[in-house]
Amino acid sequence: MAAHVQDPHQLKDFYNPNVLINLGPSHPAMHGTLRVMCRVNGETIEDANCEIGYLHRAIEKLGEEKTYHQWMVYTDRLNYCSALNNNIAYAMAVENVMNISITERCMYIRVMCMELARIIDHIICVAINALDLGAMTVFWLLYHWREEAYTMIESMCGMRLTTTYARIGGMSYDLPDNLRQRMWKFCEELPRALDEVEGLLTSNRIWIDRTRGVGVVSKEDALKYSITGPCLRASGVDHDLRRDRPYYIYPELDFDVVVGSNGDVYDRYLVRLEEMRQSVRILKQVNDKMPNGPLWVNDKRVQIPEKLDVYNKMEVLIHHFKIFMEGIDVPKGEAFTCVEGPNGELGFYIVSRGGPKAWRMRVKSPSFMLFQNFEASVKGGKIPDAVAHLGSVNIIAGELDR
Amino acid sequence: MSKDGSSFFYPTLLSEAAKWAQKNSLWPMPFGTSCCGIEMMSTLSSTYDLSRFGAEVVRFSPRQADMLIVAGTITTKMAPVLRTIYDQMLEPKWVIAMGACSSSGGIFDTYSVLQGIDEIMPVDVYVPGCPPIPEGLIHAIMHLQTKIEKGMDRKPAERPTHDDALNAMSYRKGVGFDIKADFTVTQDYVKQQQELKAKQELK
Amino acid sequence: MTTSIAPKADYLKAQDLLGKRLNEKYGTDRKVEFDKLNEPVIWAKSPEDAKMLFRSFMLDESSKMDFLSDITAYDNKDREDGPKRFVLVYQQYSTTLHVRVRIKCLLDENEQALTLTDLFNGANWLEREVFDMFGISFKGHPNMRRILMDERFSGHPLRKEYPIKQREPFKDNIAFHLGANPKEIDTSITESEEK
Repeated sequence: MAAHVQDPHQLKDFYNPNVLINLGPSHPAMHGTLRVMCRVNGETIEDANCEIGYLHRAIEKLGEEKTYHQWMVYTDRLNYCSALNNNIAYAMAVENVMNISITERCMYIRVMCMELARIIDHIICVAINALDLGAMTVFWLLYHWREEAYTMIESMCGMRLTTTYARIGGMSYDLPDNLRQRMWKFCEELPRALDEVEGLLTSNRIWIDRTRGVGVVSKEDALKYSITGPCLRASGVDHDLRRDRPYYIYPELDFDVVVGSNGDVYDRYLVRLEEMRQSVRILKQVNDKMPNGPLWVNDKRVQIPEKLDVYNKMEVLIHHFKIFMEGIDVPKGEAFTCVEGPNGELGFYIVSRGGPKAWRMRVKSPSFMLFQNFEASVKGGKIPDAVAHLGSVNIIAGELDR
Repeated sequence: MSKDGSSFFYPTLLSEAAKWAQKNSLWPMPFGTSCCGIEMMSTLSSTYDLSRFGAEVVRFSPRQADMLIVAGTITTKMAPVLRTIYDQMLEPKWVIAMGACSSSGGIFDTYSVLQGIDEIMPVDVYVPGCPPIPEGLIHAIMHLQTKIEKGMDRKPAERPTHDDALNAMSYRKGVGFDIKADFTVTQDYVKQQQELKAKQELK
Repeated sequence: MTTSIAPKADYLKAQDLLGKRLNEKYGTDRKVEFDKLNEPVIWAKSPEDAKMLFRSFMLDESSKMDFLSDITAYDNKDREDGPKRFVLVYQQYSTTLHVRVRIKCLLDENEQALTLTDLFNGANWLEREVFDMFGISFKGHPNMRRILMDERFSGHPLRKEYPIKQREPFKDNIAFHLGANPKEIDTSITESEEK
């Protein structure tokens, strides 16, 4: 009789609600090296503790060791999905400290690069979000457009992903001749691909069930956690640095700012899709209005001379040597330059005490605040919801840990 | 043998047949940490299809994979995770160090970055590039296929021991630091210890 | 989901007004500077003063700062900005008036700053990062431990005397990180190594 009566102490372990699940740094749903340690009860996450720092590469410390030109390379590796944007934001930050204003053609090229970077970053976010939830077709479909954009970027600066295209005072190379036609073709065909994606996902019953009401971030929470970018706009806060604190030629461009209402994963997906269409609109305007003119600013402190002159004239050779070996001389001062990146507000706070190297190079990355908000808002949800939520928030580990 | 002379059997050595099977069905375990991970995703997607080379099954499970592609910077915080994944893979296994950061630390010579994953595990193919273009990764996999075809047995002396691997993480010279491995050991660790003991007895 | 048409924001005027008002109200006993982008930088007298200024900017009608952009610090080793070792920097932004202000505060090596987590939840990780990189601890912070570096790391990397290539040996075995209960990790702060 006593044989089949179980020991109650053993059964207590069986019904223990505190199970620790570690969505560890190596996990298919972890976009990069993040770690979420969840205490779950069944499938509901009761408590979550996020750990970052698995990709901390000391980029800010390197900012104090390398000259301003040398550090441009590290900016690519911050948000590596949209490297052009980081280069240009950094170049803008140094130019602000030096009080340099760039030429008009350079401004148009930079805005074009930033919007292209925004498109490819949103493509990755939507594609990987869909892949995590099982919609692999969207991934294959959208990745083709990323390759098209890569081919254009490669023709501009030679490299697909880590571009290092911008220079302080200008750009490293001028645009190739056939870029205008290719960009026009890209702008014509991408909206049709976006229509296909919308047809696959937007009114899809499964997609709506998996994403609507999931990962809700309210307006007050969004401001309390200082998140920026599409996630802030999807929560209902109408804030876009391109319109509110405009830089370069954004005051002359005609575009809309996309604001959501609920702050769930579905809204973020819709905001990103519509932002891609608005970026295409901006690209078309920039492509039409691109002026001819000098690319480099006429400032002897930063202007990198032409290669032919470097090879033939002695003074130009010495000038080129001094710019790259010693570094440019940035005057004493500081500035905090913010740019509306694809993921949010990317800021560079440069403290300079004179000389070729910065005293402090601080990168304010949007993913840091977004992941903090993720840690707080994932509590109470289920594990698959956490996966959907993480995909929509677009955490880039390079930017998170720097 | 049929009437026209063609045979239904292909006589070969068992090891050659095994090599042919292994090299044409390399199932990858993608360990993508940073920018090289994005290029690895590009290689796995439709334009530069890696499943042409047998790498169809991209399940993030080390127990079911042959090939570990380490794409991206490995920091000292991530190193034990990577070593555990390498240990969880079954023999025969190959490692591709994709990109400059996993080959040698890349542009990051800092306090938190491992200067190449060969500090903690043996590597078969190094792919240069920052990041290498997808054609570069495909070239590396084809090179790995040639390597498998030519010889499967790698000399055990080339691999660092478990103690060496752990001590490599404490690479501040002159510390005089010895870490004992007190977690579960693998079969080749046991074999290495036996060989070391045998060598010492011979002396 | 709605889309709004881009109005031309006039943030430069609001920035100028804010600068003038700061000069009038605080210019007598605190230093008010303007950086290269003409944004006001106000030097607080102590960490408590910095928090008081932060809170007053949140409530003030001419600034209405409802957004925390950044909390960071830099090393003042050559004492060019003041007599103390570190400078703590708060960056605030207003989503309605689109203006920025920066609050700076000088700190000694063992001086504690006050936490802003009761005002903004987003300050939690930012302060942890400042602690990790510089060693400045924040009084009242719920979770003052390292965030980017390993928990067993000693030394604060972004200090000027920390060599960039100096690494630290692993003292524990591999099982430490995987599945360990985070509440059982020893969070006692070790002395920083200064070589």
